[in-house]
Amino acid sequence: MNALPIDLALAWESLPALFDGLMVTVFLTALPLIIGLALAFPICFARMSARRALALPAEIFVVFFRGAPLLILLYLVYYGLGQIEALRNGPFWIVFGSPFGCAIVALSLNHAAYMVEVLRGSLLAVPHGIVEASEALGITRRNIFLWVRMPLALRYGLKAYQNEVVSFVKGTAIVSVVTITDLMAVANSIFEQTYDPFTPILCAAAFYWAFVNLIRVGFTVWGRWLSRHSAEDAVVAIPGRQGLGGVVVEAKVTP
Amino acid sequence: MIPRPHAAEPAAEPAILLAQVVKRYGAHRALAGVDLQVRRGEKLVICGPSGSGKSTLIRCINALERHDAGRIVVNGIALTNDEGTVQDIRQEVGMVFQHFNLFPHLTALENCMLAPRLNRGLSKAQAEKLALAHLERVHLADQARKYPARLSGGQQQRVAIARALCMEPRILLFDEPTSALDPEMVKEVLGVIEELAASGVTMICVTHEMGFARRVADRCVFMDRGEIVEEGDAARFFEAPESERLRHFLAQILR
Repeated sequence: MNALPIDLALAWESLPALFDGLMVTVFLTALPLIIGLALAFPICFARMSARRALALPAEIFVVFFRGAPLLILLYLVYYGLGQIEALRNGPFWIVFGSPFGCAIVALSLNHAAYMVEVLRGSLLAVPHGIVEASEALGITRRNIFLWVRMPLALRYGLKAYQNEVVSFVKGTAIVSVVTITDLMAVANSIFEQTYDPFTPILCAAAFYWAFVNLIRVGFTVWGRWLSRHSAEDAVVAIPGRQGLGGVVVEAKVTP
Repeated sequence: MIPRPHAAEPAAEPAILLAQVVKRYGAHRALAGVDLQVRRGEKLVICGPSGSGKSTLIRCINALERHDAGRIVVNGIALTNDEGTVQDIRQEVGMVFQHFNLFPHLTALENCMLAPRLNRGLSKAQAEKLALAHLERVHLADQARKYPARLSGGQQQRVAIARALCMEPRILLFDEPTSALDPEMVKEVLGVIEELAASGVTMICVTHEMGFARRVADRCVFMDRGEIVEEGDAARFFEAPESERLRHFLAQILR
């Protein structure tokens, strides 16, 4: 047996297939991140509304989709919805008939539910006095949101958003159970063909690691740019969870 | 863009008129039926113990707090629940807060430019010219490109004054503008406010700075438990207080 647990020749041979798998993972990350975020905004506004008729459904959405394990959600969408005859014959079957469509729906709903809370927390962190100062200047509510609350919320919430994105990337690995050949599924099939558990799985891990760290670097650069108004005192490198270093973006607010 | 209303200006009409204004927080009456008239160009100082309703009073004038009963008329515009009326009044009234409430993500210059750009549709160049002119007025043109976190408390408060001036309001409200400042910075802020007072703008200032009140105020008002207890010109107000409550208050703060 080799001193290394890795068969380098097999690893080299597997690279193209693993790379294709990574592209599927990237796609299954990017699209739900966009759709989930787009869904999160209106649901967050409803959740923060003073009107119970809006806030309650939004809260139920969050409780349900945050509480439902992603794997169960995916099974329900992929296998469960297919049992409904009306859906099979309807126009939405284009989405629900394909494993990709189902995966994107399930992942988007899951991401949206988490992002509602990230967004809400960030918006609530904006000091009330700053919003009042904007009101006193006669700025409309819409403009206050666009120019004051949202830019500040982004700074307060960037770290939480980064955590959510990173754990989301790794969460996409479960799509292999509905026949999608993402990075994890490719690694698994190589394992089944060669009975070498280490090489494909460790290679896949390296690919995930590279992807996640690319995201981390992106967030770091973004965070630095956002915190340029307090560059000296607010950017603090801390050892993050999940082995991530990162910037704490703390818009310095007086007093 | 919100059209600037041109209220009719008969000389006799007060800049601000409050009639039997009541504000309740639950069972507590923060304002217990306040009557007050402020002439155009008048400088009014309001003092009183904490919880006496003085902040609530000026915050009702620009509708940061909504009054529960009574009548408020600002520059001829009666304050109602109508959002348009509120916006109209806020275009006429500038406010400076105890805790500055600058936008931490914007430079001093951008802090001043935001409202004119959003409310009056000024171009970037126009807004910048306006903002620089007002920063010059508070002697901070050389700090224009700095972020609030880089400025001292006194400088931040002067930026906040310039920011309010950029909307070219006819009425300025100051809510304890020097209470959050270190003692050595009080003077520079009061100096700027005194310079403004000479410009003919209508001013209401909640403050305990008695020297300032003597120099600047045309009239002083003493509030306690949600009512106006005593008012008079500055000299008589401090030298010969009539009510026991004001005598007691002055004895407390002048100790």
